[in-house]
Amino acid sequence: MINRKMKIFFMLLPTLLIIGGIFFIGILKGFFISLGYFPEVGLEKFTLYYYKEVIKDKAFIDSLKFSLYTSFWSASIGVLVGVLLAYLLLEKKNKESIDYWLYKIPVIIPHTIGALIIYNIFSQTGILSRILNYLNLIDDYNDFFQLVYDTHGIGIILTYIWKEIPFVVLVVYTVLKGINTKLSEAALNLGASKRQVFFHILLPLAGPSIMGTFIIIFAFSFGSFEVPFLLGPTNPRALPVKAYIEYTNPDLRHRPYSMVINMVLSAISFIFIIMYVKVFKKISKYE
Amino acid sequence: MKKNKFICEFIIKIIILSLIIPVGTLIIWSFTARWPWPHMKPSGFNIGSIEYVFKSNNFFEVLFHSLGISFIVTILTNLISIPGAKAIGVYDFKGKELIKTLIIVPIIVPIVAVSMGIHVTFIKAGLANNTLGVIIVQLVVTLPYSMKILISAFENIKDKFEMQGQVLGANRFQQFRYITLPLIMPSLISSSSLVFVISFSQYFLTLLIGGGRVITYSMVMFPFIQSGDRSLGSAYGIIFIIITLAVLFLLDIMTKTYYRMEKYTCPKSK
Repeated sequence: MINRKMKIFFMLLPTLLIIGGIFFIGILKGFFISLGYFPEVGLEKFTLYYYKEVIKDKAFIDSLKFSLYTSFWSASIGVLVGVLLAYLLLEKKNKESIDYWLYKIPVIIPHTIGALIIYNIFSQTGILSRILNYLNLIDDYNDFFQLVYDTHGIGIILTYIWKEIPFVVLVVYTVLKGINTKLSEAALNLGASKRQVFFHILLPLAGPSIMGTFIIIFAFSFGSFEVPFLLGPTNPRALPVKAYIEYTNPDLRHRPYSMVINMVLSAISFIFIIMYVKVFKKISKYE
Repeated sequence: MKKNKFICEFIIKIIILSLIIPVGTLIIWSFTARWPWPHMKPSGFNIGSIEYVFKSNNFFEVLFHSLGISFIVTILTNLISIPGAKAIGVYDFKGKELIKTLIIVPIIVPIVAVSMGIHVTFIKAGLANNTLGVIIVQLVVTLPYSMKILISAFENIKDKFEMQGQVLGANRFQQFRYITLPLIMPSLISSSSLVFVISFSQYFLTLLIGGGRVITYSMVMFPFIQSGDRSLGSAYGIIFIIITLAVLFLLDIMTKTYYRMEKYTCPKSK
């Protein structure tokens, strides 16, 4: 018995060392620094000073709102379109169609290139503004809406939507396919319309997985750096960008400020994790 | 009914085209040296940008270094997650649910926060500003995905086939090589593909932990995108995509050859 426990322990050890070791030490160290305990640069007193300073800062609140806002809209639209596409692909008769792998292409393209693609199309000298000019709708590229580097974060939202739709389809398509077809067939036999089958059978059963996907892509875009750094406005900056800029301050005694921002990012994502776990408890209930 | 089907097909095409056409802009722009606003067509096509990328300082050195890092990360991730995923997928033990939750934590908690926190520790341990450190820190990002994929693979097969092998006298190595490995191969390939893509695309972690000394393809590409240089950015982007596709294609070929070789010795997985 003890032998078996040891065996399981050793099988899990490398995973735990990496995730437990690097991940949790990273968070913990960041937490200490945010509290002003950073002996490496001579800060040794625990204090809430930095938290107070950061939270008082209006730019910080704006950044927080901006990050939440861009992530919320990109994740919502991404999930909506993704679920629609997954359902339509499921209903399609010809499963050999090229559509089944074409939609996956954005998955292998990194966010940085995604940002460039959006820039190519939506910037003021991009393709869309040229088309509008060709149609005589605008005379000068300055007349075109500012869709990248803009305070509404349209460019950021578009990049994330483009990246997220295939991810949502991948997950939701598998889940929808796994739902017992007998249920839908029984409902159809009893006179339900396709729309009713979708809203009353498929959607409730796939609901928790869809919610889980929403949480993951929301959290991902909330915490990542590249896209808002490339396409975001200077004011307000997205939270991860703000954290990095504070971090690169040559005065190391400035570090606690960036760590406070990191702790806010982490605290919010811990709420996501709790939601995610709750959602998945629901899934195991169905099984 | 017929009309409905037509509308569905139409919506599918619209969504897929709006995912694909944007990628096409990379192709046009990478073959364009000058394309001033408001022209609808570039002033001419040439391969100047592509040529520039290939001829740029130590392009191949950076590329091989980058591929090397990603291959090592892929192999290490698999080596770590096969036993880990087996422990979780096959056996029951106390604290299993907790560990399953811990594994998804790095997907959700921003890597920005983790990497800035661990940076000092990495500097002290001599892992900052070098390739080894970059490889180790990338494992935090890749492990959750490969664990998730392999856990569900092991949950499906459990250890009943291994047990049979054991009863028939196969040793540990034989059990793994001839029973477990063929059964998890499809999942192993999809996790490897995903891990490779994640590692090869990584920018922020390499920037922070590599401290600008570890130069990967994504690092070289970034400034061109940042400065809005469409021609060179697109050229780097297209080459990036082609390299990724080539690696994924190779992985696919490798699996197929593997299965052709194993056909007569192993049971086919589901």
